[in-house]
Amino acid sequence: MEPIIRVEDLVKRHARRGLWRRVADFTAVDSISFSILPGTTLALVGESGSGKSSLALCLAGLERVTSGRIWFEGRDLAALGEKELRAVRPRIQLVFQDPANSLNPRWTVEEIVVEPLLVQNRVSRREGDARAAQALERVGLAAEYLDRRPRDLSGGQRQRVAIARALILEPKLLILDEVLSALDCSIQAQIANLLVEMQRAYGLAYLFITHDLRMAAHLADEIAVMSEGKIVEQGAAEKILQGPRRSELRSLVGASPLKPETLGEVRQR
Amino acid sequence: MTRFLLRRIAHAAFLLFGVSVLAFSFTTFAPGNYFDDMRLNPQISAERLTALRADYQLDRPMVVRYLRWARSVLHGDLGLSFAYNTAVGPLLWTRARNTLLLTGTATVLAWMLALPLGVWSAEKPGRPADVALSWATAVLLIIPDLTLALGLLVLAVRSGWLPTGGLVSVGFDGFSAAYRVRDVAWHMVLPVTVLVASALPVLLRHVRAAVAEALEAPFLRAAEGHGISRGRLLYRYVLPAAAYPLIALFGFSLGTLLSASLLVEVVMSWPGLGPFLLEAILARDLYVVIGGVLLSTLFLVAGNFVADLLLFWVDPRIRAEASRR
Amino acid sequence: MSTRSRLLLCVAGLGALHLGVACAGFFAPYDPTAQDREHPYAPPMPLHFVDARGGFHLLPFFYAQELQAGTFDQYEENRSRAIPVEFFVSGAPYHVLGVFPLRIHLLGGGDVQMYLLGSDGYGRDLLSRILFGGQVSLLAGLIGAGLTLSIGLCIGTVAGFWGGWKDEVLMRVAELFLALPWIYLLFAMRAFLPLTVPPLKAFLLVVIVIAAVGWARPARMVRGIVLSAKERDFVRSARGFGASDAYLLRRHIVPETASVVLTQAAILVPQFVLAEMTLSFLGLGVPEPVASWGNMLSSLQHYNVLVSYWWMYLPALAMVPFFLGYLLLESLLQGSYATSKIE
Repeated sequence: MEPIIRVEDLVKRHARRGLWRRVADFTAVDSISFSILPGTTLALVGESGSGKSSLALCLAGLERVTSGRIWFEGRDLAALGEKELRAVRPRIQLVFQDPANSLNPRWTVEEIVVEPLLVQNRVSRREGDARAAQALERVGLAAEYLDRRPRDLSGGQRQRVAIARALILEPKLLILDEVLSALDCSIQAQIANLLVEMQRAYGLAYLFITHDLRMAAHLADEIAVMSEGKIVEQGAAEKILQGPRRSELRSLVGASPLKPETLGEVRQR
Repeated sequence: MTRFLLRRIAHAAFLLFGVSVLAFSFTTFAPGNYFDDMRLNPQISAERLTALRADYQLDRPMVVRYLRWARSVLHGDLGLSFAYNTAVGPLLWTRARNTLLLTGTATVLAWMLALPLGVWSAEKPGRPADVALSWATAVLLIIPDLTLALGLLVLAVRSGWLPTGGLVSVGFDGFSAAYRVRDVAWHMVLPVTVLVASALPVLLRHVRAAVAEALEAPFLRAAEGHGISRGRLLYRYVLPAAAYPLIALFGFSLGTLLSASLLVEVVMSWPGLGPFLLEAILARDLYVVIGGVLLSTLFLVAGNFVADLLLFWVDPRIRAEASRR
Repeated sequence: MSTRSRLLLCVAGLGALHLGVACAGFFAPYDPTAQDREHPYAPPMPLHFVDARGGFHLLPFFYAQELQAGTFDQYEENRSRAIPVEFFVSGAPYHVLGVFPLRIHLLGGGDVQMYLLGSDGYGRDLLSRILFGGQVSLLAGLIGAGLTLSIGLCIGTVAGFWGGWKDEVLMRVAELFLALPWIYLLFAMRAFLPLTVPPLKAFLLVVIVIAAVGWARPARMVRGIVLSAKERDFVRSARGFGASDAYLLRRHIVPETASVVLTQAAILVPQFVLAEMTLSFLGLGVPEPVASWGNMLSSLQHYNVLVSYWWMYLPALAMVPFFLGYLLLESLLQGSYATSKIE
């Protein structure tokens, strides 16, 4: 099976401008390569500052890549111009960590969820309302939430709205950047299960970015461990979890309240 | 530390340079000049006018004039006044001294009132006296300074208690030194009152806000728990914490020393920079206006600079960052 | 009372004040330029309810003021004739919004001049002049604030959104403008424009100068908001759906600036009205015979006016209720924005 996305030697450097002298550039992503098969989940695990979010932004087309290639649907996204990119965007969507930040607090849930359709000029306003209700239903929210504003919703509900919005354009790949980290523990499980459901129902591929190994264990088919801009380990989930080699992974394993044996109980597909 | 200083000085110099260029550009592109009125006078021939203009170099291109003026600044002359036919610098300075006397006194008074009142008000808000203070401040805030100045003037005139203008009374030269001081002070009462009344509400508000916020700090509870006395708490712990925004405000107070009293001086006929500049503006005395604008800009920039220095001295974070670079 | 209702009340109050001034033609008994050389510096007329014979009248009335023989500014009341104050009289024509001609006035004195607030050196009714003068001063403040805020909004948005060299240059220029003492800049700018111009041109000049001086602070504030809004994830998400810059600005970023723009408006309008008053007071603003609160006060620079004709001070007080309203509005707005941020 062809991977849905294949990243080759991706590099992202941030130029830093001192006023009078040049400060060294900061390399956030240092020559990364991986691929994701359709309908599967690749978990990208690493501590804060390891470059995960920069990678996510590059893949979603929100930051320009310094060098490297991103193969998606047979084209290199890194080489596309803005206009061509616009046509591709609906099929790769990004969900952010903090829904308080990723949803415009002045807008109603309906306006938020419909926005992608309007931006892409897919629907008229009226049609949009119907699609919004459908989208909410998919993520388990009743239609009555359409008129609410984000501040009236709980964290878990807001994240559902964010997911509904991401799904409304029917993407093939969803990049989930620490989407569970801002939620309470009990809610995390709910949303994680929702994600699994969505994947099963729509055949979505996920790039699941997290620092929480337990969550990765729950959702991932493959795991890649990132540290200081590089991928230090990559492979099938069971293999990575059962033989933690490097100290980072060890500390991540140690950090999550799980016994190593439990890690072996990776989710059964 | 020195690098920080040098950078700020360079910044200030850039501002002054920019302002002078701006001022020069205005005046070059503006229609009309000092000699316009003379043109209407039939006794002055056109050739005479041209000669005058050449004398004062008004016919040279802007860059040349700017350079000559810049050189004159370095000499302390700041150009030539058309109306007085003498260097601008000394003219401005005599007037500026009078202005500083007024604003300096007013600023000191205002801060001396605002600090204790602000601290007292922030300590226990809601007391009847505090509410009264809030109302009084609000009333002062609402009354624009033009209204206040004119109002006090009307009162002074009708009651005859206070002199209604000027710096000194007639016969000043014959007074003894002590009486002279008293005379000037007497003349200062009205304008200083207006200045303090306009500045006080804003200062008070800021002091109160800064102190109130500092009072909320958790470290204060800890200090209280240690049994430190109220007075010591206030002055050794709270004020330093509140100092940050207040220092910026102080810099601003310093900066407006030359410009805050313009209107008051005109209304009360105080012979300061204000009326002098106004007269120069109406007469289109070019270099006086530019010199005056530059002088007050200098004060503003210097005020901010002093504030930055104080902040640097007070806030260890800035020092650490500056030494790291 | 909730902040929202307080806000509405404040806006309603300010609106009423502005409406009163806008309908100056109706509320003013006379034309502001109508002179009466026989009654210069007439003091305000008291209104009476009880006449000389002790009779009580429901509606107020007044006595005509005549110059005392031999003086040129001492008046005495002519008690032989009680003139009732008339309501809804037909008087001097005026235009509503400069278009519709009307003649109806709220108050009038019939064939005798009624100086409720006194008259000035040319015998012009002070009440009428204050009302019409308010139109000029308030309009200057409102238009000036509108202009400044528009300029500030544009510049702040360009600097904040696109950054780069545009941002550097614009903010340096803004810094220059902020480094200049406001009032001196105002005067200098005004001075180097033609001094004797017809009233309309003078008015426009004043407005433009005021607006040109004040744009820097709003621009900086807007830029700050735009910078932080640009980084918000909901803007990033929208970009992720393929939104254009124009869309982002229009739908997400500029609405974020609303709070700053409104609070700045509440602060700037009274400041600008004051600026116009100051300029006109000093002879650099709107010239005679057009009335503005500022130029009406300039006669107070003469000692004899200051001493003898206290009512000439009244235009200075006219500004106070407006100041109060705007200050209240500003603090209420600040309050409501602060609470809505706590989510």
